Amino acid sequence: MAATETTVKLDRVSKSFGEFTAVRELSLDVRAGRVYGLLGPNGAGKTTTIRMIVNIMAPDSGTITLFGRKIDPALQDRIGYLPEERGLYRRMRVVDQLRFFAELKNVRGKQIESKIDEWLARVKLSEWKLKRSMELSKGMQQKIQFITSVIHDPDLLILDEPFSGLDPINTELLKEIVLDLKRAGKTVIFSTHQMEIAEKICDDICLLNRSQKVLDGSLREIKRSFGRNSVAVRCEGGDGVLDDPALVSKLVRHADEAQALLAPGANAQTILKRLIDSGAVIGKFEMVEPSLNDIFITKVTESA
Amino acid sequence: MKKFLAVVKREYVQRVRAKMFIVTTILLPAAMMFFGVVPVLVVNIKTPAVRVAVVDQTGKLYDKLRQSLVNDEQQTDAGPQGRRGFTSFVLEEVNAQNQSTDLLRDNLNQRLRNRQIDGYIILPPDFLDHGEAEFFNNNPGDLFTLPALQSALSRAVRDQRLIEAKVDNKTREELFRPVDLQAVKIGETGGQERDAGSSFALVFGVGFVMYLSILMYGQVVLGAVIEEKETRIAEILFSSIRPFTLMMGKLVGVSLVALTQLAIWGLAFSAFAVYGINLLASRGVTSFSIPHIPFSHFVYFALFFLLGYFIYATIYALVGSMVTTAQEGGQLAMPIIVMLVVSFYLFLPVGRSPDSSFSFWVSMIPFSAPVAMVVRIVTQTPPFWQIALSLLIGFSSVLVIMWIASRVYRVGMLMYGKRASIPEAWRWARQA
Repeated sequence: MAATETTVKLDRVSKSFGEFTAVRELSLDVRAGRVYGLLGPNGAGKTTTIRMIVNIMAPDSGTITLFGRKIDPALQDRIGYLPEERGLYRRMRVVDQLRFFAELKNVRGKQIESKIDEWLARVKLSEWKLKRSMELSKGMQQKIQFITSVIHDPDLLILDEPFSGLDPINTELLKEIVLDLKRAGKTVIFSTHQMEIAEKICDDICLLNRSQKVLDGSLREIKRSFGRNSVAVRCEGGDGVLDDPALVSKLVRHADEAQALLAPGANAQTILKRLIDSGAVIGKFEMVEPSLNDIFITKVTESA
Repeated sequence: MKKFLAVVKREYVQRVRAKMFIVTTILLPAAMMFFGVVPVLVVNIKTPAVRVAVVDQTGKLYDKLRQSLVNDEQQTDAGPQGRRGFTSFVLEEVNAQNQSTDLLRDNLNQRLRNRQIDGYIILPPDFLDHGEAEFFNNNPGDLFTLPALQSALSRAVRDQRLIEAKVDNKTREELFRPVDLQAVKIGETGGQERDAGSSFALVFGVGFVMYLSILMYGQVVLGAVIEEKETRIAEILFSSIRPFTLMMGKLVGVSLVALTQLAIWGLAFSAFAVYGINLLASRGVTSFSIPHIPFSHFVYFALFFLLGYFIYATIYALVGSMVTTAQEGGQLAMPIIVMLVVSFYLFLPVGRSPDSSFSFWVSMIPFSAPVAMVVRIVTQTPPFWQIALSLLIGFSSVLVIMWIASRVYRVGMLMYGKRASIPEAWRWARQA
């Protein structure tokens, strides 16, 4: 698949529930073979957007095209979907559940069994194959749920908050799998409000706030457009300098270093000079790109 | 279609494998056997014969009394339930000619205390006129002996009085021959069929099994529909399968489980019944004959049974689609049971006047048709088009209810944790 091909296209899509508008005039393009992050605070309309893409809900207006055509039941088999609200049949054995979900996606015969073994090995749960899901820990269950969304080798994978509640090791594991799928030419859409993860795996993002698109495009370009207007500083002393609103519009202190967003018109050189003048011992002084988190907060507060 | 089968398979396999299913399936026939056989065995335990001494001061009744008791005992052995308990007697005639009554009684009391006899009767010389006598014994708690003796004695006295009134044996038999009243049904062809109410009993049986299976499996359908909501799987399923297909798959899967269980029970019951009939036959009881029922009726029974089951099961599914927990569902399902009971008792008015317009309409309404139409078929088979129409209306209703249920289900699922009111459910069904 060429990288310019569009897998999912939304054209001025709106959806309301009674008085409440969940999604307003949303247009977006998800290109094939890329990881697309649907970002935004809680209640921004991410889940509703996803549900419309997977054909659980119909939009009130606007059109949605998948793989160049309108959604139909046959296309559903090419989509893998992991909803935010997810569970397993408690009393069913892991292998039976996975087989059932594969059958629902029209995977047949012997290939089901090999797929099940392959995926269980990959998430390191092979020895749990014959256990009932109620015997699994929450993290294990989440990995099984993830397998249900990829067992049929979908071309488009849609994950709604896939990392919530996972420990760092499993988060890393899942992230690797998502990147592998991308390398295999699959398209991945996922929603999250965890910007650190989005930052690491997204090629493109769409930022939603209050039912509307605030920003979208390639992550790299978005970051570039924001410019290198932050400095990461590690120093002893010189505290007053970084608190000067004429120089720094926003200061975030981490454990041993601080990140300062330059005030409009301020200059990193000025800050450095002032720090030296005030007698501070500087361990680190680096111009950095804004984090996705910064962009997110800036944009969301702007649009509020 | 493949997805539908996947759902059916899952519902069926998961449920049939469950311990609960296996236990109830085996337990019911076992219980039936237990309650059917054990009481018979217990009652059949032969108690030792009651030894009764008879002082017949009339001099005419002893032989008749003994004959009468012997007859009773033979009847008791033949019937499944004895009409006068299971007491057998050993009689002994005490010659009273040369002794005074007091001396006689002292003697007999002595023997009673020594447990040589269990009781004695003194029939005074004027017994045939006044009919008053006394039975002395030391076990007043015996519920069977006194009535058995009394009834045998009455017959002995009656026979003796008839003899004294110069009624000969033949006339006597004539006088006491019982009448024989049989129900005869006029068939459609005008031919007469002897029916003896057995097909009506069969209708009752069909209705009862339907009632039972709906009560048992309605809840299961309800639970099956709620399962995905409670486990939060519904949304994953919806991205793969249409809600209607899912619901139909669940309904059919659970129904196959129900039919499996019924079939096992049915086989156990038939085996038991055949064994029982053979047992009775071996004892010379043949009055229990298998009723003659046309084959077409069995087909109708099966169809209307399925219709009844599916109609009510779909309503349970509809309830399941509206609620979020099985508990809520149980409360909401109450009206269904009321409806079920009412439609069950319709067999009475319909049976009385099977071709009234009332009977016609209730046999067309899907909720009452399964019982009403079967009653009509057995009593006065209606024209074929009516039967076909009733089935058509019924099974279409099943599809319509399932369609509504699947729409309510889909919308309800997406609004977590909210139970739908009826108007809301209706709105959901239309907007989904």
